[in-house]
Amino acid sequence: MFEVRFEGEDRVRLVGRLDAAQADAALAALGRLQGASVADFSELEYISSAGIGVILETYKRLHQGGHTFLLTNLSPRIRSIFGYAGLDRVLRIE
Amino acid sequence: MRVDERRFPRSFESLDGIFGLIAEFLRAEGLDAAHAFDLDLMAEELFTNMVKYGNGAEPIAIGIARDGDAVVLVLRDFGAPPWDVTRPRALPNAPIEQRRAGGLGLHLVQRLADRLEYHHDGHSGTVTVRKRVAT
Repeated sequence: MFEVRFEGEDRVRLVGRLDAAQADAALAALGRLQGASVADFSELEYISSAGIGVILETYKRLHQGGHTFLLTNLSPRIRSIFGYAGLDRVLRIE
Repeated sequence: MRVDERRFPRSFESLDGIFGLIAEFLRAEGLDAAHAFDLDLMAEELFTNMVKYGNGAEPIAIGIARDGDAVVLVLRDFGAPPWDVTRPRALPNAPIEQRRAGGLGLHLVQRLADRLEYHHDGHSGTVTVRKRVAT
């Protein structure tokens, strides 16, 4: 199960497991973000490369529009996966 | 050695069943459920690559077993052409705007696995992943 919960127009909470079966729906949901945005990962239990691709595409879309996309409250395991992907120093992670 | 093996249709919709197989195995072996993250990720990346690129027609077999201090995952793609998952995948070095997620999955598998082997017998490709687990 995976869910994108909007907490205002520019803040989302990612909940559950973001795998390849959920990636298309997740990308569509995050497509609603239009300005400087924040994604709270505190309730994200799992992410695969498909999910990382969703985050990367959302980051690039917002970045090309001149907006920031901040990732917050990543669990240590998920943060390490972003590190293995070489993205922990190029994405904005707090 | 206990071996759980099932066959899964070539669809991303099979992922929940694969994760369920791994969770059941960890419970049965008395292993910490925290091991599921890495095992799920490696199984998903290998399975979805087989679905996308394997060109096989039959369901994909996934087995899981305990071997001493490790869990072993075996994925078998029947009728698939050779596809060496052990070939090193370098991370893209492009600027962020040009990066794609393609190829990242196998890179993650190579980072997480303690041992990764591939064998093709002329008909089927078999990937074997070994991951140490603390007891």
